[in-house]
Amino acid sequence: MHEQPDGAALLEAARGVLLEELLPHLPEGLRFAARMVANAMAIAAREARQDGDQQAKCLAAVAALTGPGDAPLAAFAKAIRAGGFDPGTPQHAAAAAALMDLARARCTVSAPKALAESPFRAAE
Amino acid sequence: MDEQRRAAVETWLRGASGDPALAIIGAVLLSGGAIQQNWAIDVEHRGSVEAWVLRTDNAATLAVSLPRAAEYRLLQAAQAAGVTVPEPLFLCEDATVAGAPFFVMRRVKGIAAGYRVVKSELLGGGRVALAEALGQELARIHSIRPPRPDLAFLGDAPADAARAFIAAQRAALDRQHAPRPAIEWGLRHLEREAPAPVPAVLTHNDFRTGNLMLDEQGVTAVLDWEFAAWGDGHADLGWLCAKCWRFGNLAQEAGGIGPRAALYAGYGGVDDASVRWWELAAHIRWAVIAVDQAARHISGTEPNLELALTGHIVPELELEILRMTGVPDA
Repeated sequence: MHEQPDGAALLEAARGVLLEELLPHLPEGLRFAARMVANAMAIAAREARQDGDQQAKCLAAVAALTGPGDAPLAAFAKAIRAGGFDPGTPQHAAAAAALMDLARARCTVSAPKALAESPFRAAE
Repeated sequence: MDEQRRAAVETWLRGASGDPALAIIGAVLLSGGAIQQNWAIDVEHRGSVEAWVLRTDNAATLAVSLPRAAEYRLLQAAQAAGVTVPEPLFLCEDATVAGAPFFVMRRVKGIAAGYRVVKSELLGGGRVALAEALGQELARIHSIRPPRPDLAFLGDAPADAARAFIAAQRAALDRQHAPRPAIEWGLRHLEREAPAPVPAVLTHNDFRTGNLMLDEQGVTAVLDWEFAAWGDGHADLGWLCAKCWRFGNLAQEAGGIGPRAALYAGYGGVDDASVRWWELAAHIRWAVIAVDQAARHISGTEPNLELALTGHIVPELELEILRMTGVPDA
């Protein structure tokens, strides 16, 4: 429906121009801001490319743990606080796995480097 | 600093210092945000030129004027306890002088920027010596204990700092819209494993790489006292050691700067299990702060790209929180 290249591809191309062509000519005092802009573009591009199925799967796993209701994440958070998924409860391992899947899906957009090894390793 | 304000400050400083010839010969804005301003001022005082910093709030934020006076008294208390801080010189609580209360401290030389600090093998006499020195600084800060009438603005010490921490983080999450199951998971883990209460000490609460001014001899200043509170000293050790504050240099567990063992040796008498508890707490605290910072952008009260991007640190912190609580990684 939309014309190609799509939004994600445009962001990636624009980010390349920013980092390779514009940044070297910016005074030192403006480079931090330019890097922030590049970072924001990268996050937005990854979000546009994220596999919608992955998110839906994560949410379905959470909903399976919390039972029927229209706000599974909120119910999940509340139940965790109340100890409903503590070690020794029947659903503890399933809850842990759902949380890990969710965090990994979120990192796919916000911090993909954290997925490969330990978070916080990349000093950009 | 406009002429009028500079003249008013100069006049006030003449009175405060007892030097009628004192003159401000230079003033450069070091950092200015919506709330605070830091000015580097060069001052002719008793025949020599002195390098000072004037720290104040913007006139528009008079409601938060107490923190400047509080910060000044914390610097005084820290200095008296032997902590390496910028020497506090004068406090002006009269908002009519410069538009807001301000204080003046001696300017300190050194490097603080995290990414530079963690790369250096030379700062502070090398990594081991520097980590030991940081442990010693923390021990001196923690030698300050309640009751302290001069620090009355800190309020009463919590009976149980660990449980008070959990309650405060949950209250902060409840003020936000989005549910945070991974952070809740971490908090619940902390609740099950909470250490026994210990006698309260002064905790700096932002003692980390980036807030420590260093040179090749050692620590030149412990900065940014605005989060100080009564609490459990292990919280400061955990904050410094947290992976998220190692600026990418994960092998050096004390803030990306040096070995954990050297930090502990410098500090003396560390309960390692308690530090590890507060290390998980540190990741949770930083995640909650990041959520709050992003919310300031999202709500439109303070549109700012840096705040917006801070929100995207949260997923990475969640991943680490889960790993620290023993959740198997996929």
